[in-house]
Amino acid sequence: MNWRRWLVLILRVGLAAVFVYAAWSKLRQPWLLFAMAIDAYGVLPEWAVMTLARALPWFELALGLLLLTGFWLRQSAIIASALLVVFFAVMLRSYTKGLQIDCACFGFGEAISLKTLLRDGLLVLSSVALTALAFGRTTPSATPT
Amino acid sequence: MSRLVLLLCCTLSIGGVPSQGSKSAPEIIKSVGVFTAPISIEVFSDFQCPSCKLLYEQTLRPLTDDYVAKGKVYLVHRDFPLPQHAHAREAACYACAAGRIGKYEAACDVLFKRQDSWAADGKVGDTVCGALSPSEAKQVRALVKDPQIVASVDQDIQLGQAAGVRQTPTLVITYKNQRYPISGAVSYDLLRRFIDQLLTK
Repeated sequence: MNWRRWLVLILRVGLAAVFVYAAWSKLRQPWLLFAMAIDAYGVLPEWAVMTLARALPWFELALGLLLLTGFWLRQSAIIASALLVVFFAVMLRSYTKGLQIDCACFGFGEAISLKTLLRDGLLVLSSVALTALAFGRTTPSATPT
Repeated sequence: MSRLVLLLCCTLSIGGVPSQGSKSAPEIIKSVGVFTAPISIEVFSDFQCPSCKLLYEQTLRPLTDDYVAKGKVYLVHRDFPLPQHAHAREAACYACAAGRIGKYEAACDVLFKRQDSWAADGKVGDTVCGALSPSEAKQVRALVKDPQIVASVDQDIQLGQAAGVRQTPTLVITYKNQRYPISGAVSYDLLRRFIDQLLTK
């Protein structure tokens, strides 16, 4: 159905923009700043914090580009959903524990709040919807016809 | 502790805040290190915030020994009492009052060390004064009523708001006019790596 293809396009490009912007906002700063922001969540050992701080922005960029181009859409939609669910879970954990920390979602200076949780929740829903729509089609394609 | 006091005395003779350009008495009282240090770190903190206690005890102490004492970092404490912490503002005022008689570090130490206690019973004055001699305690109890003390805390809050501070603790690291804000109880090891990276630039 035509509307499904348009919806896939909108979700795909929207999520791609989010991931590319998130990557850019982290890559333009020294990576150790992002490492400190991850460390503030208090969920990972230092070696994992260092690895994640170096790798995650590039991973987000690659994922954003994959979503934008529509290549391996099913796989990239699943990965995006999983990643966003993890982000949402750690943010929710920090919020409920009352940690006064930076979200570090798009650069720095944004504390975890109901607003950031709502935003991430909407992204999770969008990504899950994209995954469902991508699997609902017989052949995933990059553009609507 | 003695090193901190020594550095504070050193600062009192030099003083100032690189990122803000000018200096005033409350800033000098609450700063440690040499004004000309290549890196300045402003710490926006709330005495009632558990993460601030962690940062103070596990990060700022080794930072003072390894970088501030060696003239590489200039450390400025800024009060940013959060509205949800009922006694944080009073604690900031007592720390500033203690700073007026050269006991800022002692007040910080005891406020963070006994955070759970005074946060629960509200006995901020007794906590700070308990770490001082009777004559010093009397002076601090008188000074805390000084409107200038309250004004200095308000000034720090305004500086924080202007710098985009939303939570505590927040560190604003300034190096070569570039500002890097970091929030949370930053681990010393990561902060050390970051400072070293800046210094080798």
